[in-house]
Amino acid sequence: MADLKIQGLAKSYKDVRVLESIDLDIASGEFFTLLGPSGCGKTTLLRTIAGFQSQDKGEIIVKGERIGTKPAHKRDIGMVFQDYAIFPHLTVAENVAFGLKARSLPKAEIEQRVIESLKMVRLDGYQNRLPAEMSGGQQQRVGLARAMAIRPTLLLMDEPLSNLDAKLRIELREDIRDIQRRLGITTIYVTHDQEEALAVSDRICVMNKGHVEQIGTPFEIYRKPVRRFAAAFVGTMNFLPARLDGGNLVVGGQSVAYPHVEGSGEIEVAIRPENVLLAGGAGEGAAITLKGEVRKVTFLGREAHYTLKTEAGEIVAQVADPAHDFVTMEGRMVDIRLPLSKVALFRPNGDVVKAGSAR
Amino acid sequence: MTTRFRFDLWTFVLIAAWIVLLILLVWPLSSILRASLLDNDTGAVSLVHYIQIFTTKVYQRAIGNTFIAGIGGMTGALILGVTLAFVTTRFHIYGRAIIQTLAVIALVAPPFIGAYAWIVLFGASGVVRKGLATISVSIPPLYGVAGVILVFSFKFFPHVFLITSGALGAINRSVEEAAESLGVSPMKRLFTVTLPLILPAIAASALLTFVLSIADFGTPRIIGRDFNVLATEAFNLFGGEVGGNPGMASALSIVLIVLSMMIVFGQRWVLRKNVYYSNLMKKPERKRVIGLKAVGLHVLAYAIVLFGALPAIIVVLFSFRRTSGPVFQPGFSLQSYEKVIATVSAPIWNTLMFSSAAVVAIVISGTLIGYLISRRPNIATGTLDALLMVPYIVPGIVMGIAFITRFNDPPIALTGTGLIIILAVYVRRLPYSARSVAASLKQVGPSLEDAAVSLGYSPGKAFMKVTVPLIVPGILAGGLMSFVTAMNELSSSLVLYVGSTITMPVRIYLSVMDGEYGTASALSTILLTMTAVAVYAAFHLSGRKESALL
Ligand SMILES: Nc1ncnc2c1ncn2[C@@H]1O[C@H](COP(=O)(O)OP(=O)(O)OP(=O)(O)O)[C@@H](O)[C@H]1O
Ligand SMILES: [Mg+2]
Repeated sequence: MADLKIQGLAKSYKDVRVLESIDLDIASGEFFTLLGPSGCGKTTLLRTIAGFQSQDKGEIIVKGERIGTKPAHKRDIGMVFQDYAIFPHLTVAENVAFGLKARSLPKAEIEQRVIESLKMVRLDGYQNRLPAEMSGGQQQRVGLARAMAIRPTLLLMDEPLSNLDAKLRIELREDIRDIQRRLGITTIYVTHDQEEALAVSDRICVMNKGHVEQIGTPFEIYRKPVRRFAAAFVGTMNFLPARLDGGNLVVGGQSVAYPHVEGSGEIEVAIRPENVLLAGGAGEGAAITLKGEVRKVTFLGREAHYTLKTEAGEIVAQVADPAHDFVTMEGRMVDIRLPLSKVALFRPNGDVVKAGSAR
Repeated sequence: MTTRFRFDLWTFVLIAAWIVLLILLVWPLSSILRASLLDNDTGAVSLVHYIQIFTTKVYQRAIGNTFIAGIGGMTGALILGVTLAFVTTRFHIYGRAIIQTLAVIALVAPPFIGAYAWIVLFGASGVVRKGLATISVSIPPLYGVAGVILVFSFKFFPHVFLITSGALGAINRSVEEAAESLGVSPMKRLFTVTLPLILPAIAASALLTFVLSIADFGTPRIIGRDFNVLATEAFNLFGGEVGGNPGMASALSIVLIVLSMMIVFGQRWVLRKNVYYSNLMKKPERKRVIGLKAVGLHVLAYAIVLFGALPAIIVVLFSFRRTSGPVFQPGFSLQSYEKVIATVSAPIWNTLMFSSAAVVAIVISGTLIGYLISRRPNIATGTLDALLMVPYIVPGIVMGIAFITRFNDPPIALTGTGLIIILAVYVRRLPYSARSVAASLKQVGPSLEDAAVSLGYSPGKAFMKVTVPLIVPGILAGGLMSFVTAMNELSSSLVLYVGSTITMPVRIYLSVMDGEYGTASALSTILLTMTAVAVYAAFHLSGRKESALL
């Protein structure tokens, strides 16, 4: 199908830099997700790729062709809009058929595709409704169906599921993923929902303030963040202030040998709640050991989180499959182990400390 | 921002619009500017007329009075128009179609005879005034500044009503509901949410009513008595009643135009931050009210439109009165109509043909230009927008004289043709349509068009398929206003007509001047009926009962 390269893309509104200098290399058929806080420039990036506004600098290359100056309607890039942009004067079926008519497909095929697309978004039977007679989530799904129906070379989705209930969201994201894979449409997907990003993406791009923090597979983003921002933004992460001291890592009052990195200085230790081991957890290999008081217990269903107060700072630990007596833990002191093999270190400038087995 | 230049449909529209305005507006008006700068006697270039304007008492007073008339007429029309628009779009009012029809009738009350009807009712020996005197209520006669402002308010409020009710009907209900849920009282919500949202429409109609008020010369002339304004001074000087002084008249016209430009920039300043988009999903609902409140709202709405339509109603009544020569007699008859039909039918066809031709051109180019102005803001479209304000303000008689001066000889010799009348009306009423479209575009989010483009439609097609259907109420409202004003165009036609191209309003004017009020009333009634039929047909054909008007 089509691969997309973006080189040095920059965009300002008046004198406000919204996109700094974006470089992306998206493979054909890839499901590529943009993840980042509100206002970081995700929508701006999508709108620039789609051609609704032109970039100040940089190149957009699809299938080897520079499309930076090509008019939007000739780019064959489908888009699902954050504000839906459903045509209020057209029925649901007419909305979905809108792009198909532009491609002058035979009537029968248009009908066929409209039905198929509406079925996919669970809206069959709504063909003749007007958008004003539908809920926000339903309108959003019409927008999704409308963009998917044209089978574009490149599909841009700006938070297409933000307005749906949790269950429907999971169902639809699986469906989007299936169809996308079946048709091989290269897709850029924008979401706020990290779980969604991790679940569906081939690769994720974490953005912040108009620049790329990290690009990687969901596994890499979650397990091997190379920037503090990515580590903090995706999933829950504990950060503890620490110091490197000539081969030793000092956390609170504790010091462990840490021969992998040279040098000294302030540093932050990062570890995910599920990697924090509590009393009794059999620990292999070197670890930072701390003592902490259980301050708060949060029940999350599949697991529970303990918020622990230690001399080095607050740590959230995850306990899988909590037993019914987990609540009685509140107020107790427990032993905590932070296995060095699961710990990542970040420098004050936000870069990860790269070293042998430290991650 | 982009510095790249793309040649597309809109670039073409921009260039075409500029060419049209240069030929039909700038070039003719340059003759007025030239005349204003020439000494009448020596023919040398001089500022003598301008110096005279700012040093002569009567002209200074005219400038002050022009402002008073403009601001007074605008304020009155805004109060009446916005109130009526709000009441009819937000509450369930019985006979909404009647109200709207009456408003349109008030809009089309033919010139001159409208002012004449006001005097019949409220003049020194006016029917209403005398009637009230018998029950010992005394009201002052309608003359002077108060009368002018009152007449302007009731003459121009339908413009405000049409423009703002379109905007009010297009506010996303959720926005108002959000304000409500935030604990804002309905009254406060009106002022903090609803009115700011329709500010573009209000500002547009404020501008329109202001310039209509300061360019109108018939009303101050008949009702104003010694309340002189720039337009009446210019008219007198052009008309040659007191000797004629084209240089002075031209200079006064230029001062009027400059004043209007100041107002335009004022409006720009008010709207500088206004970019509201809401893709209409939930239309506002009309609340049902009962009891005293319902009665009050009905009385309010009907009082406004009935009072506004009063001159037209009087004219219709008078057209059926018996006459003997120019004098009305007791009793009714069809005399006036018989006379009209026996003597004049060419004006009817001319009026229909000229205004239809002008309106078709106005609606098409007005829609394109309105889009350009609101969606492609840059220097070229900004100056175009400012230039479009000029026809608003130039008194028709000035425009007519400018046309005669420039289009009398080759390369463009049009004098005596119907085309010159059509073109004058076209350029004078183009801004109505363009402004109205620009205002309604403010309420259609641009992402809708982006969506169509991303689905493979070229910008031109996306505009036709998505934007146009959504702004049909705006197009229709603008087209309607252009049409009724084109049908009733008097001042420029008065200068441009020849025997074979005489139109209804000119015929009516001549009849009034000859003192044939019966004939004038009958002709006015026919014109009124034609306009009403045209308006009805427009809405019937467009098939949009729930649009801006119905
Ligand atoms: N038309 C505009 N003019 C000026 N600034 C703008 C404009 N559109 C967006 N911005 C600014 O650009 C930045 C990026 O906006 P953008 O819409 O791309 O964010 P986003 O990442 O999509 O956010 P969200 O997740 O909330 O949708 C924001 O700071 C925003 O305020
Ligand atoms: Mg966004």
